[in-house]
Amino acid sequence: MIYLDSAATTLQKPKSVSAAMLSALRTMASPGRGGHLPAQRAAQTAYACREAACALFGMDDSEQVVFTFNATHALNLAIRSLVKPGDTVLISGYEHNAVSRTLYAMPNVTVKVAHAPLFCPEETAGRFEELLTDEVAVVVCTHVSNVFGYILPIEDIARLCRERGVKLIVDAAQSAGCLPVSMERWGAAFVAMPGHKGLYGPQGTGLLLCANRVEPLMMGGTGSESRLQQMPDFLPDRLEAGTHNIPGIAGLLAGLRFVERVGVERIGSHETDLVDRMAEGLEEIKGVRVFAQNPGAGCQSGVLSFCVDGMDCEEVGQRLSGAGIAVRCGLHCAPLAHKSAGTLECGTVRASVSAFNTRQEIRAFIRAVAALKK
Amino acid sequence: MLYYLIVCRSLTYAQRTAAALERAGISARTLRSPQSVSGEGCSHSVRISRRDLDMGLEVLRRTGLTPKRVFAAASDGSYMEISV
Repeated sequence: MIYLDSAATTLQKPKSVSAAMLSALRTMASPGRGGHLPAQRAAQTAYACREAACALFGMDDSEQVVFTFNATHALNLAIRSLVKPGDTVLISGYEHNAVSRTLYAMPNVTVKVAHAPLFCPEETAGRFEELLTDEVAVVVCTHVSNVFGYILPIEDIARLCRERGVKLIVDAAQSAGCLPVSMERWGAAFVAMPGHKGLYGPQGTGLLLCANRVEPLMMGGTGSESRLQQMPDFLPDRLEAGTHNIPGIAGLLAGLRFVERVGVERIGSHETDLVDRMAEGLEEIKGVRVFAQNPGAGCQSGVLSFCVDGMDCEEVGQRLSGAGIAVRCGLHCAPLAHKSAGTLECGTVRASVSAFNTRQEIRAFIRAVAALKK
Repeated sequence: MLYYLIVCRSLTYAQRTAAALERAGISARTLRSPQSVSGEGCSHSVRISRRDLDMGLEVLRRTGLTPKRVFAAASDGSYMEISV
């Protein structure tokens, strides 16, 4: 199978990931919940994972690295910590439902959307500048659109937030592992990310990087201050009630080490190269509408959407699946992005790559799409 | 062997503390705090030898890892809090 759905979950992982998970299942218990060796091994693994995340994301305090179930969980924690009833929140026009549904579920919160055309970073930054008025309490912005791979001008948006004293939450679901992500440089209050995409960990893992006071969504045992009925007021315990997913964290640690070893820049360049070739090949097929940046513009990651004239996107996905190619179709849980791009009614077919895809696979994929039109 | 326990607010804090001490060449081990020193219930401590206390506290001061409390282990198994 040619797997081109890494924007959902990377399926091909380094072998070290499953080996670490199996070893954790066999040898590790709960970190901090006992003094015995299996608990100590689990504690060492959790700590090593926090430290590896610190190194990759420009942080120096591993207490600010919180384990979550996924990016959605991390975003819920961040948003519910910062946004209060009556607040106005500014978001990009490319947010995932993990952001927009969380905000819409909060009472009396006004959401302003900075709609801007695809692959126009200057216009996107301009919209943020225009809409970042005094009443805006929080900005939530995705680093990369999960539908189109559009790399938003997060550096400019972060600078605006710093200049105007507004808290920033960054959704790094599509960028962690393939683009530079730096808490310190952005000055973000929170950065949320999954473990199971570009960090090559297993499903059920995620990280929330915190530089702000947080409110827990879940209460329970933390192995600390157990006499008190309030949750501890320090991280990471405040947000990590209950038993940790240690096999998952062990796998995530192996994934982080893989990313560190190969290099974020190298992975990002490889993915961009594949998507550029994909765009070039698909654009030559009559009746295929491709959503791609101008060559060399530097604002598209390893994700590409397209539509095939006269075919429902789900039908395209089914037929490609029949040809042994895995893509994703529909709205990709991001209606705002489709509204911004004008594809809300039809959806798109999305192909997304990882460090493990090859040029040969991309050529085969292009031939398979071309065959749909014959 | 007599030793000191540096009581920390959380496991992760204890791990950071132990890592900072180890980087400075001080042997440090993370363990669950004895109930008699754990304050508000379960906590974690870092155990260091008596000879390393002064240098250890200086290392922690420089790295900004303030100990919550420090206890000296006595030969009868009890712990006595010391002022730092």
